[in-house]
Amino acid sequence: MTSNSLVSINELKIDVRITKSLRLKIVDSATFDVERGQILGLIGESGSGKTMLCRSLVGTLGRRGAYIAGGDLVFDGIDLITAKPSDWRDIRGKRIGYVPQSALAGPNPVMTIGAQLAEAIEQSENHDKDYIRKRSLELLEIVQIRRPEIVLKQYPYDLSGGMKQRVMIACAIAQQPSLIVADEPTTGLDVTVQAEIMDLLKRIRSEFSTSIILVSHDLPLINDVCDDIVVMHAGATVEKVSSAQVSHSLHPYTRALYSSRIDLVEPKGQLVTIKGQPPTVGQWPSGCRFADRCDFVVDSCRSASTVPLVSVAQDHMTACLRFDQIGK
Amino acid sequence: MNLLEGQDVTVHFNVHGGVIKAVDLVNFALPQGQIVGIVGESGSGKSTFARVLAGIQIPTSGSVSYLGKPIQDGKITYKGDLRQAVQMVFQDPYGSLNPRMRIIKAVAEAVRQHQNVEKAEAKEIAQKLLESMGISALDSRKYPSALSGGQRQRASVARALSAQPKILIADEPTSAIDQSAQAQLLGLFNELIKNGLSIVLVSHDLGVIRYLSDYVYVMKDGKFVEEGKTEEIFNNPKEEYTKKLISSIPGHKSH
Ligand SMILES: Nc1ncnc2c1ncn2[C@@H]1O[C@H](COP(=O)(O)OP(=O)(O)O)[C@@H](O)[C@H]1O
Ligand SMILES: Nc1ncnc2c1ncn2[C@@H]1O[C@H](COP(=O)(O)OP(=O)(O)O)[C@@H](O)[C@H]1O
Ligand SMILES: [Mg+2]
Ligand SMILES: [Mg+2]
Repeated sequence: MTSNSLVSINELKIDVRITKSLRLKIVDSATFDVERGQILGLIGESGSGKTMLCRSLVGTLGRRGAYIAGGDLVFDGIDLITAKPSDWRDIRGKRIGYVPQSALAGPNPVMTIGAQLAEAIEQSENHDKDYIRKRSLELLEIVQIRRPEIVLKQYPYDLSGGMKQRVMIACAIAQQPSLIVADEPTTGLDVTVQAEIMDLLKRIRSEFSTSIILVSHDLPLINDVCDDIVVMHAGATVEKVSSAQVSHSLHPYTRALYSSRIDLVEPKGQLVTIKGQPPTVGQWPSGCRFADRCDFVVDSCRSASTVPLVSVAQDHMTACLRFDQIGK
Repeated sequence: MNLLEGQDVTVHFNVHGGVIKAVDLVNFALPQGQIVGIVGESGSGKSTFARVLAGIQIPTSGSVSYLGKPIQDGKITYKGDLRQAVQMVFQDPYGSLNPRMRIIKAVAEAVRQHQNVEKAEAKEIAQKLLESMGISALDSRKYPSALSGGQRQRASVARALSAQPKILIADEPTSAIDQSAQAQLLGLFNELIKNGLSIVLVSHDLGVIRYLSDYVYVMKDGKFVEEGKTEEIFNNPKEEYTKKLISSIPGHKSH
């Protein structure tokens, strides 16, 4: 953990209770830091554990029957693993804002936007009505919602997908958190709306020095917006690299993900696709979990007991036993 | 002659006293063997128009013709053999796959529905179709819930292909799947074109449209505001709206 880290995640393991005696590993293991004022992109195929990692940062794993089974999770000097419910009340929403996955789930459908903002502003504090109204309008202005006085009285179904997502972001920044966790905030939204939301996140970062963890499948977008990129595969961090250096990735999975980018090939050109499917939760092979899909695989990849995430350059970590052969 | 054509297609919806012009006097052509894209933001009318082409939505006015013949004959749309010729796949493949049926069985049933074959043969055909869509024999014995989103989408394409269609209408086929699954599906669409299928591709994702389509229609508020060869539209857009869409693509040069 460097002095400038806001979040430090080290060999974090998350399990889920299936039955009384059956446990399933869904994250094993995640390792990365988030610097202050940084936008960090979290990528990886569906099921790789991105949402579970986000939930671990807001203490809502339990709602999915999941829990932290090992490792370290530290936010601004606070150990989140041993945090008690009373601690979480001071962290969730206040110091870590969360924009959950799926714009559809969005804001609570039976509460007005004003009521939801009030809830986000109040948390456990007691503010007077005037303050709440003033702050609500201010927040809607920050997220560039026009006619905020009217929107306060509206219900989510009155709003477009892009407006709903802006409201979710307004709620997430209500307490000026130092970290925002945004889980696929623009998936399913139109490109123009997406571009506006991304500009908004960038602006929040530069105005308030907020750190942002941004989950997305859209690699051009991640490259455009993020400083660093963390790649998850089958519950494990396989690489962390700066967006400027991602074309020099030393992990075959990252390289494969990036070579399936359709914006980088000629129309109808050959797309590089990753062989097979990611291994199913509960059926991870031993050794490297990417081995069956990898063009660089050798016997030792499968027989290795672990594949450590090692530092290969400044600010570049990779978990490939053959990293020195990749990209040659 | 164009395989599929829409003339002055208009769809109005009556909603609490008002009228929504979801599709407004639209003209469209799908030439044989091509992929024609329809791109536009949500609510622009893409899905409604796609449903008109598929014969699921009857237009308020205007008409669609297949090889020059109107698809609608009185109250019946796509009569007889024509019914199989046009198949549609949707954004959410959960809707078209029975959750309580193994994938192989769902596709085999579709084969039997469309082709006059015995059960055993239908299963063989289904297996081949699924394999051509990159779904292994092992995975095809699973239920939809046990597959990834990309696999489910490819299974629903396999199911649509069991009707041996001439035209596939794909409405946002890649919107619910991650990028590597998307690359797989687009690669398969490329193959299908080589085998003689024609495709109408509806998407709000300009990258997908640019990669796959020969010709593009840009839709806004129920109208086609611009159309042309794909490279023309992307390299030299004329309409402000098209320019705005293109400049919003992440990582776009002028950003
Ligand atoms: N409550 C649960 N019970 C069992 N498995 C779960 C549960 N929640 C999530 N999972 C599994 O954990 C894995 C990681 O899920 P998730 O974090 O949502 O992935 P991502 O966001 O990367 O798509 C997936 O394989 C998912 O099916
Ligand atoms: N069955 C319906 N009843 C009323 N309005 C509808 C119906 N279907 C679509 N609409 C409206 O028609 C317009 C176009 O919708 P749609 O075709 O789904 O657009 P897109 O697929 O481009 O997002 C929208 O305003 C939508 O609300
Ligand atoms: Mg997720
Ligand atoms: Mg639609």
